[in-house]
Amino acid sequence: MHPVLIELKGITKRFPGVVANDYIDLTVLRGEIHAIVGENGAGKSTLMRILYGLYQPDEGSIEVNGSPVVIDSPRKALQLGIGMVHQHFMLIPRFTVAENVILGSEPAGALGRLRRKEAEQRVRELCRQYGFALDPAAEVSMLSVGEQQRVEIIKVLYRGADVLILDEPTAVLVPQEVDELFANLRRLREQGKTIIFISHMLDEVLEISDRITVLRRGRVVGTVPAAGTTKSQLAEMMVGRPVLLELEHPPVTPGEVRLEAREVTVAGRGGRPVVSRLSLAVRAGEIYGIAGVEGNGQTELVEALVGLRPVTSGRILIEGHDVANASARAIRLLGAAHIPEDRHRRGLVLPMAVWENVVLGHHSRPQFLDGAFVDRKAIESFANERVEKFDIRLSNIDVPALALSGGNQQKVIVAREFSFNPKVLIAAQPTRGLDIGATEFVERQLLEARSNGMAVLLISANLEEVLSLSDRIGVMCSGELVAEFRRGEATPQELGLYMTGTRRAGATSP
Amino acid sequence: MKWRLLVLQIATPILAIVFGVVIASIIVLAIGRNPLDVFGVLLRFGLLRADSLLSILFKATPLIFAGLAVALSFRAALWNIGVEGQYYIGAFCAAYVGFGIKGLPVAVHLPLAVLAAGLGGMLWALVPILLKLRRGAHEVITTIMMNYIAAAVILYLIADVFRDPSQIGTPRVRTPEFPGSARVPSMGPLLGLLGLTGPDANKVNWLLIFGLVLCVLFTVLLSRTRFGYEVRAVAFNPQAAEAAGIPNARIQFLMFMLSGGVAGLAGLSDVLGFFGYLDIDFPKGLGFLGISIALLAKNNPLGVVLAALLFGFLDRGALGVQFFARVPKEVIVILQALIILAIVVAYELVTRYIRMQRKREAERPATAPAAAAEAGH
Ligand SMILES: Nc1ncnc2c1ncn2[C@@H]1O[C@H](COP(=O)(O)OP(=O)(O)O)[C@@H](O)[C@H]1O
Ligand SMILES: [Mg+2]
Repeated sequence: MHPVLIELKGITKRFPGVVANDYIDLTVLRGEIHAIVGENGAGKSTLMRILYGLYQPDEGSIEVNGSPVVIDSPRKALQLGIGMVHQHFMLIPRFTVAENVILGSEPAGALGRLRRKEAEQRVRELCRQYGFALDPAAEVSMLSVGEQQRVEIIKVLYRGADVLILDEPTAVLVPQEVDELFANLRRLREQGKTIIFISHMLDEVLEISDRITVLRRGRVVGTVPAAGTTKSQLAEMMVGRPVLLELEHPPVTPGEVRLEAREVTVAGRGGRPVVSRLSLAVRAGEIYGIAGVEGNGQTELVEALVGLRPVTSGRILIEGHDVANASARAIRLLGAAHIPEDRHRRGLVLPMAVWENVVLGHHSRPQFLDGAFVDRKAIESFANERVEKFDIRLSNIDVPALALSGGNQQKVIVAREFSFNPKVLIAAQPTRGLDIGATEFVERQLLEARSNGMAVLLISANLEEVLSLSDRIGVMCSGELVAEFRRGEATPQELGLYMTGTRRAGATSP
Repeated sequence: MKWRLLVLQIATPILAIVFGVVIASIIVLAIGRNPLDVFGVLLRFGLLRADSLLSILFKATPLIFAGLAVALSFRAALWNIGVEGQYYIGAFCAAYVGFGIKGLPVAVHLPLAVLAAGLGGMLWALVPILLKLRRGAHEVITTIMMNYIAAAVILYLIADVFRDPSQIGTPRVRTPEFPGSARVPSMGPLLGLLGLTGPDANKVNWLLIFGLVLCVLFTVLLSRTRFGYEVRAVAFNPQAAEAAGIPNARIQFLMFMLSGGVAGLAGLSDVLGFFGYLDIDFPKGLGFLGISIALLAKNNPLGVVLAALLFGFLDRGALGVQFFARVPKEVIVILQALIILAIVVAYELVTRYIRMQRKREAERPATAPAAAAEAGH
């Protein structure tokens, strides 16, 4: 057998305005776990869609087992033994695991009836063969995210794939589930399967893969063996310049309590509480991180804290002033800044110019007004100063915010919210969707703000980020704060147990 | 690059009109006429005669108010389809002040009548905006409903309540005439000094100037002031505006009231400037023309003035084309609509092109070493 299973030669794919894949060469060896890493937009998904027959390359050729092939559909890819595990699960919740697995390739009986028992049997065998913990008769709606992903993998195996493509499979998982996924992937490798694994989390990539190919802006930067490669080497290949991965977290003595929630309850749609009796306190010079699986009330908590959602009961105090159900404006005037989790929806007015967005919410400060008129000169000089300080890359401040990349848009928001020395900063998913460079920048700003005595409430779905930045960590699950730790007290695995609701504890006092 | 875009931006309306002319020419060819003849007549008759210029000015006056009213609501992401009803009510309020009060000097009576018109328009706009902000009822539906109500109310008031008793027994259904103190003076004498004389000279009145001044004031308000800034934020992204502490509902309320107030003035040029009474057959449909004008003007108040003049010109020119080029009236209506449609389309295409170029420009390769190295390979 040929040791080279798949060979991509000079694959190029253009979309209007971007070259998503620019003359990519990639060799995948039989039986290896081959990781593909790169920042958002590097072209990883595009390349995989080409290999799975969802896109056609504009140029280049593909060889499987040493012979040239044309993959013009997923069906063709599956015939060649190449299967893709979807990033967004395409399962029918009301069907059982087995029914979902056979969907689309049902074994039909003589009378056209589904041979359900037989299918269930095959699925059961597959699970045993690869050591997957799954009950074929269970309804998918009852499964956790990690289990649903397993169903997707089994689905691909059921169709006879020898090569599995997993596009950012860990993005949706908590640490325990990641561990389990990796164990499963290793077993698949032992049984001779080949795996292409996509991620931009460097720790994971180094842990699971044999070889790593780095993409940057549609091009291959290089392919390296995982053994003997360090995280910072990979990061540098991805970003194109050295990156500081471990930010310094100097000791800061926390000051007085600046932001406090006391037994806050927030109603969601239909009046059911989405945040229930949640209490926490954030001190000056402290970053309080909230960890949790998304959708456990973090969004609603933040909206309540900044005055965008009514509180059903409880008190919210900013420097001792009760601001529960106060207006967003009143809360801002007390010195609370807010980096919203959805920058397009809440953070920016996209068609407005950068200079206008930089003062959004500060625009009524006397220094920016000249009577009833906007003092454009004053705002522009302020905006230019912000652009400089926060290294926002743009041709001029008159361009609309929608013309900037996601990273630069986020920098506009960060630059704005850090202005005028806020006393409290509520930062929701401040680095979501940013590349390594921009992430590093924003995290550094948060730490600097902490050193300057700001009270920072950090809400992030990225557990690594919460762990590396926070002085204290609260875990939210089903709208409640289920545990609270001091920095260094908890491992990611432990946090994962609380995040999934497997374990509960009384919150420690600050 | 930047200059090219600027030139393009300035040339956009011209390109748009050229495109409109081309499309219209195809139609003219299709009915077997020579486009050069037809457009020749249109231009010569429409622009080179003093009486045509006067007619354009007279026709544009109410359109400026109607277009401005619609544009103001659109600027706040609100759909005021109720300008029609608002100006009916405004016109009636002005008429009521006009014939109902006697013995006031012009300096008091006329402003009072104009004020009443504005308040009448606001009153009619009040219901839809309150329903929207309080109850979430869509203003498109409520303003259309208010139009029907206004039409019926006006009919009732003119025909049954305030009908001029001296006209009873004649087919004329109208209110009593206003005294001179409630009439808007004509610009005829002034235009005469400029050499513009003709049968329409006295129709052109000072509301034209008032409309222009309003357009300038609103341009300044919307582009230079804090209020204008907040209007833009609310219109483009109410959720971000809310997060920034801008009172969405208040901004929308104020803008809708301004829109209604300006709408109330749309009928005045005819009622206070020309007829001197409110007839049951007073000009209708200005509110809907106002929507076309606002769209054509891209909601820019100064653009509204140009669009209103263009409408006035097309209307006047059509008369010439009908008489001198012997093109049927129906075809002329089609041409008018096509020209406007073509302008809107061409405008959109050019703006999109500019936006795309802008986007490409926005993040020029920055000076940072990483990016510079990137650009190297
Ligand atoms: N269907 C598409 N149409 C247009 N552009 C696309 C499409 N898919 C991807 N792109 C662009 O191609 C580039 C690479 O995207 P992608 O392959 O999704 O990157 P990654 O998976 O590494 O984040 C990006 O700039 C993206 O915007
Ligand atoms: Mg991707």
